[in-house]
Amino acid sequence: MHVLVVEDEAGLAAELMHFLKQEHYKCDWACNGEDASERIAVNRYDFILLDLGLPDYDGLDLLQEARETDYEPAVIILTARGELEDRVKGLGLGADDYLAKPFSLLELQARMQAVSRRKFNVKSSVHEFHGFELDSTARTVSYNGQNISLTKKEFDLLHYMLLHKNRIMTRLQLTEHIWGNILEDDYDSNYIDVHIKNLRKKLSAHAPTDWIETVRGVGYRLTL
Amino acid sequence: MRLQSKLTLFSAISKIVVVLLLIALLPPLIHRVAIVNTDKRLNEKKDSVLEIISNQGIENFIAEGSEGAYGSYNLLKEEFISIEQIPEPIAVDTVENSLRKVENEIVEYRVLSLTFEVDNKYYLLEIGRSIDTIQESINTMQQYALYFLAAVILITVFIDLAFNKILLQPLIVIVRRLKKIGHPSTFTHKTINTTTSDFLYLNNAINDMMGQIQDAFQKEKEFIGNVSHELLTPISILQTRMENLLTDPEMPEHLLVKLVDNQKTLHRLKNIIQALLLISRIENEQYLKNEEVSLTVLANEVAEEIADRAEAKEIKLHVNLEDNWTLPQANYSLLFTMLFNVVSNAIKYNKPNGSITISGAPKGKGYELCVSDTGVGIAQENLPHIFNRFKRLQGPDNESHGLGLPIVQTVARFHKIKITVDSTIDVGTTFCFRFNGHN
Repeated sequence: MHVLVVEDEAGLAAELMHFLKQEHYKCDWACNGEDASERIAVNRYDFILLDLGLPDYDGLDLLQEARETDYEPAVIILTARGELEDRVKGLGLGADDYLAKPFSLLELQARMQAVSRRKFNVKSSVHEFHGFELDSTARTVSYNGQNISLTKKEFDLLHYMLLHKNRIMTRLQLTEHIWGNILEDDYDSNYIDVHIKNLRKKLSAHAPTDWIETVRGVGYRLTL
Repeated sequence: MRLQSKLTLFSAISKIVVVLLLIALLPPLIHRVAIVNTDKRLNEKKDSVLEIISNQGIENFIAEGSEGAYGSYNLLKEEFISIEQIPEPIAVDTVENSLRKVENEIVEYRVLSLTFEVDNKYYLLEIGRSIDTIQESINTMQQYALYFLAAVILITVFIDLAFNKILLQPLIVIVRRLKKIGHPSTFTHKTINTTTSDFLYLNNAINDMMGQIQDAFQKEKEFIGNVSHELLTPISILQTRMENLLTDPEMPEHLLVKLVDNQKTLHRLKNIIQALLLISRIENEQYLKNEEVSLTVLANEVAEEIADRAEAKEIKLHVNLEDNWTLPQANYSLLFTMLFNVVSNAIKYNKPNGSITISGAPKGKGYELCVSDTGVGIAQENLPHIFNRFKRLQGPDNESHGLGLPIVQTVARFHKIKITVDSTIDVGTTFCFRFNGHN
């Protein structure tokens, strides 16, 4: 997958690139609109991560340019502006998703996976692990064809952890994924422990769940 | 009461007072005028009689040598003239009321009496006019005076009304414009067509002030935009950098724990900035209210979203909304945030095995949605402060930044929802949202 990161903040761009390369994406960086415009015209990107607040260019114009290419890249808008008008316009102009800065890299990856499945018509949405099956379209989890009943949050949590298997995830990252769209007074990451406890209980009724690993003082990791 | 109504009312009342005063003063006044007139007429008649006597002699009235007297009445006994000889020369020249017997009938007259001398003989002349006749003319005069007064007052009241209306028209225009302003951004600068300098001044002052407010709002909007970008961008960098460090296989485990602490602190900073931005953006009207929101749907979705948390704390969550109340123009995600924060608090400050009830029912001309918990409660003296920014009622060890309830209040104000809070220590707290208007 070929990704163009359009971001004027060098620090952020560097971290994004570091992360994406680790995840085996091929990355280019454009630090301004002109550079981005040129790269979009010359190369064929699968993904464009677009910061709307560029110094020399209206980010929405870039979005338009990307739309008009013959290879039609998936565009995810990243912005700290968060202004309502831009948000509405951005989605109306055909961006595939929207992430408000600051965002979690894990969240970005999850969104990119979701967008690419939609965009590139990936039919299979079933994850298999240690005999369990998770169907992210039907939102079901089963073991040997036996359905396991999970709550909405438990399902989201398991799905998110599967997307980021073999990686340490902090309670905060998990909390942010599950509750992040709601701005509230404080977060209580202990809820995550309760969810994990319930998940372990429900899954271990069928098979051992030692692959859900607790990293002390940090968080959790799925080892698959 | 509007100024125009007040002015009209005042002028009508002042005129009525003047009329009442005149009605009270009119009878004695007219009476006095009538008496003075009558006396004047009697004196004129006296002069005529004396002229006749001096021209034609007293014999015309009283024959020489006779002891008689002259008397003349008109048919209706309205007037009389009498001359009689008197033996002694008594000087009399008066005008006064007195009763006279005329043809067996007592009639009150205004009588002029005068003694005079002709050829060494003394005579008493009396000219009278009946009081009834005078009274009649008094009544007639009073009647016409009243008609005249009534007409004058009616005419002036109507003139006042019309004049007030014309005069106050610019003020009415200004008030109408002010009523239309929902938010300073909807105000447009307009001149007003009047020669009254006060209204011109008022209109200009309003235009100036609204202009300043609009500028301030615009600046705040820009400031919010700048803050979002300038503060959130470095936070973004820090956040992504920490996440990358977390996945670095060379990171020793003891540093990993410190990194998680850093992540928490950064998250808190991010949350504070985002909460403040949310409040400012709402106050700056940067959100739209263009959705139809069903309170039943809203309450159920909040409950569903938060059900796991309640369950984790073994708290029972009940939702019971009567009727399906719909807000025609609202912002769903803001209302969701509002209700979520209140229910989240109800869980946070609840007791084990406690319960939370989200209930709703039509009340008066609107609808009331209440969230009641069986929690620790809020002390009475703290209730007025719970919506203050950064006011934390719990201990400092709590991760709360104290902006949850200010967000709730800001969203409520944005939607013109009235919040009431009732709480008893160790019994529980009830938050009620009052939605006005029709379903």
